[in-house]
Amino acid sequence: MTSTSLPPVHQYEEDTSRGNAIGTWLKGQYALYILVALLVVATITRGSIFWGQTNLTNLALQMSIIGVVVLAQLIVVLTGGIDISVGSALGLAAVVAAGLFGGPSVLLALVVALVIGGIVGAINGGLVAFRGLEPFIVTLGMLALARGLVYAYGNGIPINPEAASSFASFGQSTLLGVPVLAIIWLAMVGLIAFLLYRTVWGRRVYAIGSNIEAARSSGIPVKTTLWSVYILAGLLVGLGGWMFLARFASGTSTAGNLLELEAIAAVVIGGARLSGGHGKVFGAVVGTIIFAVIANLLSLLNVSTFLQDAFRGALILVAVTLATVQFTRSRSKSTTPATK
Amino acid sequence: MTATQEDSATQLPIGELAFQARDVKKHYPGVKALDGVDLEGYAGSVLGVCGANGAGKSTFAKLLAGVETLTDGEITITGYPHPVRNAAEAEQAGVLMMHQEPLIIDDFTVGENVWLYKLREGKDIRPWAQKADTNSHETRKVLQGVGLGHLSTRQPARDLGPGQRQMLSLSRAAVTHHKIMILDETTASTSEEHFNDILDLVDREKKAGTSIIFVSHRLNEVFAMCDRIAVLRNGKLVKTLKAADSNPDEITSLMIGQALKALERPTPVQHSPGQVPVLSIRDLHGGTARGVSFDVNAGEIVGLYGLVGSGRSSVARTVTGQRPAAGGSIKLHGQEVRLPSPTAAVAKGIAYLTEDRRLEGFVKDFDNGENMSLVVLPKMARAGVVDTKREKKRIRELISEFQVKGGTKTYTRTLSGGNQQKVVVAKWLETDPDFVVLDEPTKGIDVGARANIYKIIHDVAARGKGVLVVSSEAEELLSLCHRILVMRNGQIVDEFDPEHATTDDLIRTALSHQD
Repeated sequence: MTSTSLPPVHQYEEDTSRGNAIGTWLKGQYALYILVALLVVATITRGSIFWGQTNLTNLALQMSIIGVVVLAQLIVVLTGGIDISVGSALGLAAVVAAGLFGGPSVLLALVVALVIGGIVGAINGGLVAFRGLEPFIVTLGMLALARGLVYAYGNGIPINPEAASSFASFGQSTLLGVPVLAIIWLAMVGLIAFLLYRTVWGRRVYAIGSNIEAARSSGIPVKTTLWSVYILAGLLVGLGGWMFLARFASGTSTAGNLLELEAIAAVVIGGARLSGGHGKVFGAVVGTIIFAVIANLLSLLNVSTFLQDAFRGALILVAVTLATVQFTRSRSKSTTPATK
Repeated sequence: MTATQEDSATQLPIGELAFQARDVKKHYPGVKALDGVDLEGYAGSVLGVCGANGAGKSTFAKLLAGVETLTDGEITITGYPHPVRNAAEAEQAGVLMMHQEPLIIDDFTVGENVWLYKLREGKDIRPWAQKADTNSHETRKVLQGVGLGHLSTRQPARDLGPGQRQMLSLSRAAVTHHKIMILDETTASTSEEHFNDILDLVDREKKAGTSIIFVSHRLNEVFAMCDRIAVLRNGKLVKTLKAADSNPDEITSLMIGQALKALERPTPVQHSPGQVPVLSIRDLHGGTARGVSFDVNAGEIVGLYGLVGSGRSSVARTVTGQRPAAGGSIKLHGQEVRLPSPTAAVAKGIAYLTEDRRLEGFVKDFDNGENMSLVVLPKMARAGVVDTKREKKRIRELISEFQVKGGTKTYTRTLSGGNQQKVVVAKWLETDPDFVVLDEPTKGIDVGARANIYKIIHDVAARGKGVLVVSSEAEELLSLCHRILVMRNGQIVDEFDPEHATTDDLIRTALSHQD
């Protein structure tokens, strides 16, 4: 271009060999290793039961509901936010969908659940995006608000929809041996992956999470994008509430209790960064499966429910620590043994 | 621990060898940042380290300070028993690093920031001792030493301007024990006003027997400060010479490997009467700007000069929608426009190259490709779905067109300042804007890349776009623009024709007494 162009001495070697790409990718997937280890343990200790048809179906059902909520959490975390109201919002969507108009049909319940989830998401997102409030505080308030409404709506008594039997049969139905709820979850995984990786919207979400100032300065509509993220998260949570209803055929007041912790943990174990801009759908899915498998395995091993919580907490600590180990290893790799 | 540090950091007699780097190599994946460099520094002497972007000068500074680890070779520091391996050891050996970005804690007061190192491990942590120190007479003397005598020690550091922050960071040199001081592009965020204070500081340090390393590409400053100059190019040491025996031209040609051509004048504007200006602003208010009016014609490069706080950046940010206007009118091609947000400005064909590249210029976690397509992405998409093939193809073209180092998958944050700027420029020009505002376009960029950027700016104007260049460097504007406006106290006070004006005229006008 000009007479001052530099001779290209630093050649950047673009590595296109496929084998190497997979190798590099595998290096970062510590969540996958945890999952493999868990599966090995499961096979050794309770192999025949664990891999049995009944247990696998049960496992798939368990992780579908949380899986959808994890996706909601993931997109919020990617923007650098956090949504701790997902559990309560799921509960609210479930009980209102079960109770409104008496719960005459599965489809009407879906619409109601989505509307409730969408409203919760729109309020959360509106306050975060347009009022500039901290996501943690906003969703903390929403956590208490939504849970309070859940208790008030049913007076603490489980709400059984009129069409309870069609809910139950829908929740238990399978397609080619796979539970329909799990298929819905996988469809959502595909949808979110598509939105994040292939659309302008997805690129904007990552840009906002990584560097909100640069995003704003580049003319990205930061506020509306943020709002849309929370609304989409709300819709996913509403969907989760409806799936809950389909699975248990009843809207209990504890529906989705403490689900937010598991969702955040799954997202983080999946490699997402809480400060935003970094994280993959695949990781979040692996995180979801890890949590479902460990819960399943612990009950198969007859571990008390109290101890199960402790195990889950320990797992979060181990996984997060592993992530940092991986990080420092890859950094020190570039140094020679002489400077070890 | 305190004892060891003080012992090993005892000053050396002037002229003694202070540190020695032997065959130093630093390889990053895909890039050899340093490839076998031998350098040494002497007590009471200033070593300038010059080089183009990506020559490895900052890498060298980071290795010496132990911030980065060597790939091969070793650095020994006189008085320290073994080669330094990390930042803590380097500090114990008496290396003080002054980073390009000043290390200031916003929520602390000015005084607390001076004594920040006292909070480190192994120091006196009695709370009352800390508090008393930060407002003491000594603290004030330290601040005076760097030209900040007018500040209160109790003032929060967040209120300081970029230059003042850098000087505050530098003031720590007076309160730490060190025998090697590294100034890594320290003058990049300071304006000419503070340079004399830095010179005084360096002078005091020299007398005390400190060995100083000044990493910079501002050659006039290098020559004002240094005794010896080492020139790096592409990770290798080209030559070390005595400053007294050399001149900026020689260093420049060593840095870029060939003689630098004088910058050509921009093509004169084809001005037809009755033509509507690209941008026309009247009585604009906003930020520190108070009633600014001017026109930018098609094909014209207008320079906006002023000191920090004169309102030059406020004007730049207001006409690009980065901040809302408080009053006045902005007309684009004769049409009155409202620019409440950057999004609105982008839609109207206005591009803004920010002054703060790291904060606003590019996205940290994005690679070159993603950063380049950030603004223009909707145009590469159908119904919101990105046409990946088209994006990849265009990015590759841009990378070679703008000669960005690294590939499409290299993270922009790992590049040198000049290459980062090329990515940002490519990002904006890809939107095919009608009006481009560049705020300090060559800040922290070396001569080689500078010439590239100037050429790009000239090309943009030659295509009939309007260009506004905001700068605190008078020389830059004189060689780049068709017309220069000088701002003072939020208003435009004078206009110059670069053919007939000098640096002196501009500075004098920008400074002259309050009226």
